[in-house]
Amino acid sequence: MTARLILPRRKLLATAAATGLAAPFVARAQGKEPIKLGSALPLTGSQAGYGNDFAASWRMGVKDVNDAGGVNGRPFELITLDTQADPQLGINAANRYIQVEKLPMFFTAWSAVVKAQAPIANREKVLEINAGANSPEIATLGDFVYTTFPLADVDITKLAKYVFTTLGKKTAAVLYINNDTGIDAAKIYRDTFTEAGGKVVAFEAYDPKATEFTGMLLKARAANPEIVHIHGLTADTPQVIAQMRQLGMTQRVTSYSAAYNPKLLQQLGAAAEGLIVTSLAPGVNDNPNVGKFLERWKTEQNRVPNGLPYCQYQYDMVVFTKMLYEYVEKKGQPATGETLRDALLAIKEFELPMTGKMIIDGHRVNKPVYLLTVEKGAFVPLATL
Amino acid sequence: MDYLVTIAVLIAIYTILASSYNLVIGYGGLSTVAHPIFFAIGAYTTGLLAVHVPFIPPVGNVVLGMAAAVVASVLLAGSALRVSGDYLLIASLGFQLGLLQLLKNLEFTGGPGGLSAIPSTIVGPMRGPLFLAICGAAALACVFAVRTIVNGPYGRAISAMRDEELAFTALGRNAMSMKIAIFAIGCGMAGGAGGLYAYYFQYLSPDQFDVLASAAILTMVVLGGMGTAFGPVVGAILLLAIPQAITFLQLPPAIMAPTQGIIFTVLVLLFLYLRPSGILGGKA
Amino acid sequence: MFEPVILLQILWTGIATSAPFVLLTVGFSLTLKVTGLWNFAQSGQMAIAFYAMFFALHGLGLPLVAALALGGVLTCGAAWLIEVYGLQVFRDRGSDNLMFFIFTLILSEFIIYVITLIFGTEPETLYESILSPVDIVGGIAISDWDKTGVALAAFALAALYGFMRYTKEGQFLAAVSDNAKLAELYGISAQRAYRVTAVISGLFIVAAMYLIGSHGGVVPNSPLELVLSAVIGTLLGGIGRVFAAAWASIFLALIQSFSILFIGSRWQNLLLYGFLFATILLFPRGVRLSWGRR
Repeated sequence: MTARLILPRRKLLATAAATGLAAPFVARAQGKEPIKLGSALPLTGSQAGYGNDFAASWRMGVKDVNDAGGVNGRPFELITLDTQADPQLGINAANRYIQVEKLPMFFTAWSAVVKAQAPIANREKVLEINAGANSPEIATLGDFVYTTFPLADVDITKLAKYVFTTLGKKTAAVLYINNDTGIDAAKIYRDTFTEAGGKVVAFEAYDPKATEFTGMLLKARAANPEIVHIHGLTADTPQVIAQMRQLGMTQRVTSYSAAYNPKLLQQLGAAAEGLIVTSLAPGVNDNPNVGKFLERWKTEQNRVPNGLPYCQYQYDMVVFTKMLYEYVEKKGQPATGETLRDALLAIKEFELPMTGKMIIDGHRVNKPVYLLTVEKGAFVPLATL
Repeated sequence: MDYLVTIAVLIAIYTILASSYNLVIGYGGLSTVAHPIFFAIGAYTTGLLAVHVPFIPPVGNVVLGMAAAVVASVLLAGSALRVSGDYLLIASLGFQLGLLQLLKNLEFTGGPGGLSAIPSTIVGPMRGPLFLAICGAAALACVFAVRTIVNGPYGRAISAMRDEELAFTALGRNAMSMKIAIFAIGCGMAGGAGGLYAYYFQYLSPDQFDVLASAAILTMVVLGGMGTAFGPVVGAILLLAIPQAITFLQLPPAIMAPTQGIIFTVLVLLFLYLRPSGILGGKA
Repeated sequence: MFEPVILLQILWTGIATSAPFVLLTVGFSLTLKVTGLWNFAQSGQMAIAFYAMFFALHGLGLPLVAALALGGVLTCGAAWLIEVYGLQVFRDRGSDNLMFFIFTLILSEFIIYVITLIFGTEPETLYESILSPVDIVGGIAISDWDKTGVALAAFALAALYGFMRYTKEGQFLAAVSDNAKLAELYGISAQRAYRVTAVISGLFIVAAMYLIGSHGGVVPNSPLELVLSAVIGTLLGGIGRVFAAAWASIFLALIQSFSILFIGSRWQNLLLYGFLFATILLFPRGVRLSWGRR
């Protein structure tokens, strides 16, 4: 440790301000001064079911990392702020993290929030990391916006190819929610499926507030697809599938990680049989840590988490952050948005406990895609792509 | 601190919205719920121009945003008021809902994902304070403009028109063109607020402009005191600052937002029961 | 896409899914007719109705009948309280329309926040499964939910019609809606009429929320959207014309459903609003916007 680190906090702040560093993270004297971790999530609002479980996973990660010594003796201190998945509140949260908590980096999720926070992160040179949203636009939001969660082009591309090549379906219908998530993903599915040689015979968007899908489903039914891909959110996907089955459509349904949800099985019962979903995190059979994670959830919360794969990422982000800080400290640098970002790009390959290997590819990240299907009322692994 | 500056900027912007809304409904007596959509028209026009037509200076874009809002408002009021004054409410509801739906569905405006990457105008550490100065000045200008309009001879004409339209028309004054003028001024100001918003936050999401936002603005007006010049300012400060202050109470997240909402709505209800003329008094 | 079977399917499902919206619109429109108020507090009542039934079924494990009863009592009770301790107070003060608008809207938001605090924000359904048994009749899928919805709406409308036409109480309502002051001169209590209306609309709301809650997920904020469709139906039906509003609701639902044949699903809402806008500009149909009664 160099002498620099023994300066009293005030003086260091003054020096830092004088040298114009953005939000200097205070390097401290030897001791247990905590490192603050920021994760902006929807803790209330319609997405809170996921948001709260993500936050719980963060807490589990922080506890484990702190119990194991933290970052060279310094514990993490988790600060979650509520965004309600609303861009305006996301902006407030980002400002709080940067200006009030003086964080050099923060984590976020939900595409609209990620996008709204991007200008602030870029302006203030604070590292913004997406750990849950999948809009492909996230890869182009700016110099300080990165993702550790694979964007839609990763899993949807592989899914579409699998459907055509392995499942042998030549025609598909794509039904998607008319928002960020749905529009981008639907286009990717259609383009990939068509390129592989298939034909998308119905391509319909539905309003996020819709509750009745008869017309759209009849259109899809009339087009006679061999398989149907539904890209919605947790609230509407089960309704679309339910109405689909009630209209006599028996085709297999594919969706993405939002449908990988035990409540959906409850609501649909037998109608969910055969459903194929993607997961961007290894399952119980692929990684022993996941089983332990689930056990912990059952013990602490008496249930399985919503969006298990996403929760695995949240847990891993604590470990990931630890790696970034350790790198920066080893180089004797203060932890700023720039140094942490450079650490991210320099380390490039991360071995994380719950999600396995993560390879940062610029503003994108590459991960294997796990397919699961519903058999006899439960999700079972189908394939790893 | 930028955090406080952002809240102050929002207060300034909403002061413009509340003031202009007050002009339209409080002074002009025109029932409308479409104020957020003119906010949106200004914001999106400015944003789109900033993104696609870089050679226009930011001030120009904001002015063009205002102009777009004015044109839209004249079209709306012109057609609706021809039927009856009450029709404006219904027409404004339809306009608000329809145009927002359009914004959500056009790729050109960024669709439901919103318009992002609006270019930066001011950069550097003084960005926040400078923006605050600009928005604050605009807010003050708006409040005083409204005050001047209603306190002058034009204002007396407006009062006469609002309170006794039949007599007003009988005296040969043109109520219709006056109503349209007020509506246009009010909506134009809202459009200007939108332009400022677009430049400060550099991101627009259609959901921010939905019809419930008009309830929020209306509440600001009523709480502060409808028909008073400074009432909307007080209302804007209260409605934006109180929820933020509540977030510092460190409540557990699951109860934070609803508790915030409860505190806030109870406050408003108490005011409605106990002091309906608003904080600054004014006409009951 | 234009085969008779498909068209009939769209027609049937359109009518069935419009059932809850018809109920909500009628409740809203009736209140507007009798009291002259745009009662946005009804969205708070919708939330109370759903969550009361949800709590009864899931929290207390009560059978359906008890749940419906609880829902009815709480919703009508709330409606009555709002009328007596809320709306009447403002009426006595001579408050203007804007005051009522804000009061009812903010009250709804208050109710919804309290419910959010208690129940959280995850989508909930009244039953575990959102599917109901389906019969295929002549190639058309008819689900049990469809049948319940249509039956419930038809019954409610018939009952309301009978009530308004043939009972004294119903005629008092009509009298008060025509001219409250005149009715008072004849010894008809306007306040009583308002309270009866509150209870009736409460019942309609409970029926509607039962249908909605057994068909898909509901979150505390859902009623804010629902009240909007009630408003649109009321506007199109014509102010003061309750049964016309019911027809308007069905008509709107069908327009949206059938539009699918020509345009993409995502434009359905825009069509609705555009239709609303165009209709009210081109066909005023003698809409009288009579504001608050005293």
